[in-house]
Amino acid sequence: MKLCDICGKKEATLVVRQLDKDGKATDLNVCAECAKKRGLTGVEESPPESGAVITELKSKVDDSDAKVVCMRCGMSFAEFKRVGKLGCADCYQTFAEKLRPIIRRLHGSVQHIGKTANQGRKRAQERLEIQRLRAELEKAIKQEDYEKAAALRDRLKRREDETGS
Amino acid sequence: MKLAPEKIGAWLSGSGPDSDVVISTRVRFARNLVDVPFVVRMKQFEQELVLETVRWALADTGYLKQGQFFEEEMLVEPDGLYFVERHLASPDLITCKNRKGLFVSEDETVSLMVNEEDHIRFQVLASGFDFATAFGKAAELDEKLEGQLAYAFSPEFGFLTACPTNVGTALRVSVFLHLPGLVLTREIEKVLRGAYALGLLVRGVYGEGSETRGNLFQVSNRQTLGQSEAEIVEVVSGVCRQIIDYEHKARQFLMHNLRVEVEDKVFRSLGLLRGARIISTEEATNLLATVRFGVALGIINELKLAEVSQLLILIRPANLQVILGEKLTGAEQEERRATFIREKLVR
Ligand SMILES: [Zn+2]
Ligand SMILES: [Zn+2]
Repeated sequence: MKLCDICGKKEATLVVRQLDKDGKATDLNVCAECAKKRGLTGVEESPPESGAVITELKSKVDDSDAKVVCMRCGMSFAEFKRVGKLGCADCYQTFAEKLRPIIRRLHGSVQHIGKTANQGRKRAQERLEIQRLRAELEKAIKQEDYEKAAALRDRLKRREDETGS
Repeated sequence: MKLAPEKIGAWLSGSGPDSDVVISTRVRFARNLVDVPFVVRMKQFEQELVLETVRWALADTGYLKQGQFFEEEMLVEPDGLYFVERHLASPDLITCKNRKGLFVSEDETVSLMVNEEDHIRFQVLASGFDFATAFGKAAELDEKLEGQLAYAFSPEFGFLTACPTNVGTALRVSVFLHLPGLVLTREIEKVLRGAYALGLLVRGVYGEGSETRGNLFQVSNRQTLGQSEAEIVEVVSGVCRQIIDYEHKARQFLMHNLRVEVEDKVFRSLGLLRGARIISTEEATNLLATVRFGVALGIINELKLAEVSQLLILIRPANLQVILGEKLTGAEQEERRATFIREKLVR
């Protein structure tokens, strides 16, 4: 019997897969109670969504499907099979092993070819950075740390000039 | 609410290459924001956040100036069906309970749905068989939006979508074909099976499942991953090119061998439309499509292709009611539809 990694008392009934920034997975054994407390709803039955189901998926749900849960959005693979839709971008990594054969059947391939996304990511990152600097500046002013505020203001000005926003 | 119900999309202008067979070409991209869960897992504040973010991005790209952004009461039944009938929104957008939005450009060639199955789905429609225009404009909008938004993307799976059927390029291209020649010569089954074997999806444009009305078909790519955007366009456009050529051959055959029979069918359809006092959407669709066939063949010269193609949409229930400015019962609709068509076809 595996004990829950969170409370360390009850028997763990599901595995929660957590991804770090590089997409490396760490598995966490969690008991039903802790899962519920943390909003990891994968083990609960929710009503099936109509029309969205990939019928092929429904055929067989094996035991491990209910136990692998996406840490970010709480979706289990079993739930994905039921509703036919994933819960978030991380689900693709969390369920990568189980998704690959499905994606291969659908598309005849599991390797994306074509346009890649990054340009927008850079711009969005810049926006976030600017927002963060603005928040820090506000905080510095509130705390009457004017030296820091001046430095932040200069940095903010530079970033804004660079990005033209 | 600011609609121009009688002015219909430039994509139905009846112009463009092979417009005798191809009504329109459509290119659609699905995109999701990296920082927000997908639609099935979104909380209401996240739906609002995405709505806001996308609207802001559209404004930044300048697109908002070229059209309107619809929300709330415009996007539920019955009014929302107006957009569905015009091929600017999906039925799912109208029936779902999400906070949602729809951008429609002035000429109705560009539309963008927010919080349907994916955070963002946008499409470009072009009149006739015209991937150059449709794909060019869609890629341009994608580029511009990407300058504002961070998309969910993985090097392995490509653009991440709520459903794995769209993952990868998340690109769906489709061609709306009018194939009466192939239907009349009974070649259609063979052609559609062939298209499916080549990796394409074929559906009737109106009606559910395999049932088709007016010999109108939609051909699109089934797969979105493992091929580049350009390859997807190439495959679909290559297969459609062949279908168009077959349809042309079938029409030539009919005009050489069964001209009187075809003329009879065309003029009877026109006669019914000009004489009917009560008409359902389904019957009108079938008859109008046959009249369109007659116009394309040069059998009917007094009508334009665009007029007839546009009527196919204007007579649908939600559009008819918006045009007439009244809510009508089913029976009232059938009567007013017949009157509307008669007035349009008077010469
Ligand atoms: Zn526990
Ligand atoms: Zn997830």
